[in-house]
Amino acid sequence: MKFKSRFSFSGFLILLILGICLAAPILSPYDPNAIGVADSFSGPTGKHWFGADDLGRDLLSRILYGGRITILIAMSATLIALIIGTLWGLTAGVRRGWVDEFLMRTADATMAIPQILFALVCISAVGASVISLPIVVGILLSPTTARMARSAVVTELSSDYVVAAIASGTKRSRLIISEVMPNIAPQLLVQLSINAAAAVMLEATLSFIGLGIQPPNASWGTLMLQGYAKIWNTYWFVFFPAMAVTITILAFNAYGERIRVTMDSRRSSI
Amino acid sequence: MKNALIVNNLTLSVPSSKGRVTVVDDVSFDIPAGTKVGLVGESGSGKSLTAYSLMRLIKDPVRIDKGEIYIGDREILGMSMKEFRHMRGNDISMIYQDPMSALNPIMRIGAQIIESIQLHSDVNHSQARKLAIEHLASVGIPEPDRRIDSYPFEMSGGMLQRVVIAIALSGEPKVLIADEATTALDVTTQDRVLTLIDKLAAERGLSVLLITHDLGVAAQFSDEIMVMYAGKLVERGSVNQIFSNPVHPYTKALLDSRCDYTIDVTKPINSIAGQPPRPDNRPEGCVFSPRCEHVQLQCREGVPPLISVQDRLAACFRADELFHVGMVH
Amino acid sequence: MTSVATVTNVSRTFKGKTGVVHALDNVSFDLKQGHTLALVGESGSGKTTAARVLLGLDTPNSGSIEILGKTLGSLKHEELRLLRREIQVVQQDPFSQLNRRHSVERIISAPLIAFGIGDKGSRREQVIELLKSVGLEKEHLRRRPHELSGGQCQRVAIARALALDPKIVVLDEAVSALDVSVRAQVLNLLRRIQEERGLTYLFITHDLGVAHYMADEIAVMFRGRIVERGNRDDVFNKSRHHYTVGLLSSVPLATPSATKRSREQVQSLPSPGVNDACLYRSRCSVGLGREDCKSVPLQITQGSETHSWLCHSPVEHR
Repeated sequence: MKFKSRFSFSGFLILLILGICLAAPILSPYDPNAIGVADSFSGPTGKHWFGADDLGRDLLSRILYGGRITILIAMSATLIALIIGTLWGLTAGVRRGWVDEFLMRTADATMAIPQILFALVCISAVGASVISLPIVVGILLSPTTARMARSAVVTELSSDYVVAAIASGTKRSRLIISEVMPNIAPQLLVQLSINAAAAVMLEATLSFIGLGIQPPNASWGTLMLQGYAKIWNTYWFVFFPAMAVTITILAFNAYGERIRVTMDSRRSSI
Repeated sequence: MKNALIVNNLTLSVPSSKGRVTVVDDVSFDIPAGTKVGLVGESGSGKSLTAYSLMRLIKDPVRIDKGEIYIGDREILGMSMKEFRHMRGNDISMIYQDPMSALNPIMRIGAQIIESIQLHSDVNHSQARKLAIEHLASVGIPEPDRRIDSYPFEMSGGMLQRVVIAIALSGEPKVLIADEATTALDVTTQDRVLTLIDKLAAERGLSVLLITHDLGVAAQFSDEIMVMYAGKLVERGSVNQIFSNPVHPYTKALLDSRCDYTIDVTKPINSIAGQPPRPDNRPEGCVFSPRCEHVQLQCREGVPPLISVQDRLAACFRADELFHVGMVH
Repeated sequence: MTSVATVTNVSRTFKGKTGVVHALDNVSFDLKQGHTLALVGESGSGKTTAARVLLGLDTPNSGSIEILGKTLGSLKHEELRLLRREIQVVQQDPFSQLNRRHSVERIISAPLIAFGIGDKGSRREQVIELLKSVGLEKEHLRRRPHELSGGQCQRVAIARALALDPKIVVLDEAVSALDVSVRAQVLNLLRRIQEERGLTYLFITHDLGVAHYMADEIAVMFRGRIVERGNRDDVFNKSRHHYTVGLLSSVPLATPSATKRSREQVQSLPSPGVNDACLYRSRCSVGLGREDCKSVPLQITQGSETHSWLCHSPVEHR
């Protein structure tokens, strides 16, 4: 019986990050790829708030544009994971029997492969692009989503309202879409949020080890990679992109947690 | 007779969209030593919250706004939690609807009883184990020396409730609260567990507060009955008074709406129209007035106090009158 | 009297941790048009399995079930679905049997949609009619389950069960979760609806009082078997099976005058005799001393046209 405001700081933060990245061309003070040798290695100043890199490119602009790439990849990957994972889990949870067994063992097997290794092999084979990266990251995230979707659907299918729906002649397709899906949607939303955080992290990691978007374009991970070598002299190269990644991941995780808590308290208050 | 338990003006509230609302409203009662009192009410009547207050188990967001509770001659709401913890089990114990909520699922039941015994008295492990076996035997567990090494999941609901009773009584408390303790059990098991409580209470001179929604359970296993409705104590009397001659219209209506195998099946049951008010939507005046067949203007305007009517207590302006006229539908 | 459903020699076993559990052991009963049969028993007696089997939600290991002339086991998926129009269910938990994300209107119209009956407008009319017939108002249409009380939710569930105008309604502990005063309202409602619509009820309950009030015929179940079956008078006033007698004497009555029954010894907590012919033997005061209750298989004794039992040494009545 707790009364919480509808406003969520984490939700607001996510919208803010998305908004800023979307509006990068308007907000950026400079062209992210414009080279200005005079400013190379400039620290944070009034001219370059986040400093400039070795080629004198404005870091703030590069982070704003980099965010677009990171967020785009993370979002697409999350969406792919959601679609694959939900279908995967639903099929297992609804069909049960050997289908369930097969699909879930496959999920276990997929999860057992080291993520980076898997990505390494895939990206080396097809090359890094805004198409290949989301697909690879999405596939990596889908088994956890599948597991979650399966367990949610199995729980729902054993509940009284499903018995009532079957007993009143509801067809199976309708049962899943109209009765069960609305009830597992909040859990999927939580998973979506967790996946988004994981996708940002994975993209950053992949870029950091050189498997990300190739220059001159840069995602947050690429920026960190470029800055890492000079971390002792020019901390801002790595600090600001890292902060962007951290804040985004925290926001997504906090938002997921919030939905989960609201969901639980609502369920227990009934 | 000396009172084992006294409750004065207990008032509890919870938050709601309309601010804090009262869920237990100025409830006062006592339990004479060695008496079994049945507290009857429907869900939301506040009977369980009243019981939880006696064990100081009220947690946020529920709050005790007012009131005193004396166990023996010690007031418990004012004392520190540390002080009260010594009284739990030693002076007052409670058993719940779900025995598993009182047991640790991964600990053998023997260990749990022994733990409780050693908490209350200064005995070594082997003495405590001997006592535990005695306790199990006294609550009617067959082969207690073997059963003591069972895990909770190896026992049935009725058995577990017996184990919980054994633990609850291991500190030899004077007051036992049973909160819907047999509601989840089958009737035959319920009968045995209630009979057991009955027998133990008689042997040990326990005072029992039996909280139940089941009128039959209250009638068969208590000496006195208290009826709660929408946070208020509305009537209190002996089993005979309450069940043969209730004066509060709610008590009467509740009895009429029961459905046991002695009622006349050819007519509809006299049900009470409407439903109990939610805590955030309690009516003005008497809480039962919107559903009462005998309602008058004064019932909607003032709150009837719990006063002595015909040798018992009732909170109804018309109680005396209705007693004489008789409540006929 | 015509039977609308017949269950013949149905058995259903489950594999448990400690071996095979006979949830239903050679159970037979039939539902007579416009009448109520109550299946009474304690938890684990198999009464809910009986309901599930009749609803086609579970398949028995052996035996046959016939509903309105159709044999359940022989039906194809779609045929079974069509048969569901005639047999509906109301369950125990008022809240969980309603989809918590749907409005009352959507919940009650779900069966209509499932069978493609009417359009949106006509369905709304029908839902409002149904709401009125269960004592709810038009204003409840937009509510969600958590905005309703337990009694109101149960009324919604009843309205949903009536939507397809079925012949049979299975009431699986349908009033067990309700408070005394609300339970009385719902029981009265169920009786009124039955009369108005000529419904046949299968009433599953652990509450003897409710069975007594609702049922024309009562079947007492014990560990998967029907141990006694008869009309109200047979079972309540002339009970022959020792379990029925024990059950009746265990019900605490809300009357002070009722002489406190001679209660069983507190110490007696029998272990279930798995290998006895009569499963009640270990708890039975008579059967414990008899060899035939242990070894001779039980046969149904038909005492009268309406009354039958499963006992070697039934209780005598003068």
